[in-house]
Amino acid sequence: MSGHEFHPLIKQLLDGDITLADLPPELRGEGEAALRLLAAVDRTDISMPAVTWRVMTTLERRRRRFLPWLLAPALAIAAALVIVLRPTAPAPSAALVTVRFVLVAPDAKQVSLAGTFNQWDAQVTPLVRTGATGVWTATLTLPAGQHQYAFVVDGVRWVPDPGAPAVDDGFGRRNSVLTL
Amino acid sequence: MIALLALPLTLLSLQQPAGASIAQRLAGRVSPELASLVVQLGTAASARGLPIDPLIEKAIEGSAKGVPAERVATAVRLVAMQLDTAAGALREGGAVPDTLVIAAGEFAISAGLSNHDITALARTGASVAALTVGLRVAGTLGAMGVPSAENIGLISAKLRSGQPTGDLLSVPARVQAEISRGVTPAQAAAGLERAAAAQARHGPPPVHPTHPSHPPAPPHP
Repeated sequence: MSGHEFHPLIKQLLDGDITLADLPPELRGEGEAALRLLAAVDRTDISMPAVTWRVMTTLERRRRRFLPWLLAPALAIAAALVIVLRPTAPAPSAALVTVRFVLVAPDAKQVSLAGTFNQWDAQVTPLVRTGATGVWTATLTLPAGQHQYAFVVDGVRWVPDPGAPAVDDGFGRRNSVLTL
Repeated sequence: MIALLALPLTLLSLQQPAGASIAQRLAGRVSPELASLVVQLGTAASARGLPIDPLIEKAIEGSAKGVPAERVATAVRLVAMQLDTAAGALREGGAVPDTLVIAAGEFAISAGLSNHDITALARTGASVAALTVGLRVAGTLGAMGVPSAENIGLISAKLRSGQPTGDLLSVPARVQAEISRGVTPAQAAAGLERAAAAQARHGPPPVHPTHPSHPPAPPHP
């Protein structure tokens, strides 16, 4: 869905492999914009009111970045990130994993998440807009395993997560796949 | 004679709970016509030992997305066919499939794997639980663009290594990390397959206890 993909050097910048100073001058503007966007995401605190402290103590947080360079600021819905916090130990079948879903949709009035984990109900899992950048986020605690999902923009547009693999949904669209 | 009459009645009574359960789950989420079709397909699937959840979920998903009922019905029928294909492929590979592994096989098919791929994974001799995770991960890798040969090679190596399922679940993230370094999905999977095969031959790398570089400072008096 995205018509724009970042330059490989910008991807390396977002990965932390290089710094802004390592970029050639013509890419520094784009690099700064990408870092600002990522910073807006990272400023959002993760809160898990539904999870008891006991569960929280069992989860050793490890943040995994999902293709932040897929952000495409020129489009209404530019990109999405999934940041997964998961235990480092092998996950038992009943393990819970905390996942942050992020979608960049500057023009959206509302964004929600629908998937196998909420019976595809687009009403029950809204994303929250973060600042003025059009970054929408939601943090969920899901059972380890596999989940399929899509973002629902303004209640009508079903949008796969460009930062995650996707499969045919059987209706001519794509479902994003999350394996935890 | 009584036994002959009792048999169909017993079968009907066994089917009824499946149908009632399906109808209950679909109530208010899909049209009555679609619910009727899913009850019919689900009851038949249940009688053949196939899972009903994928049928119910596909119907709910289609309705939630506002897809026309005829198209949802087509998609649900396709899922039913893929469940049959997955079950057959698993048996072909020597597995005794339960509903979870069949559903995982159906997902793998929907992600582009063939029945031969599923049979190949079943032939690894992995437990049904591990095979269930393996099929789900293989489907995810397929969705990430990993070609079938490298995909099945990697997951087969992982299943044969007997590592915990948590290790299997981390494979998509590791493939993604390799791809982000600039290699193709096929190269990423092939590299991980070589590592898994080497680990299977030589065992896991030794874990060295970490020692502090300096002895801890004595406590202040």
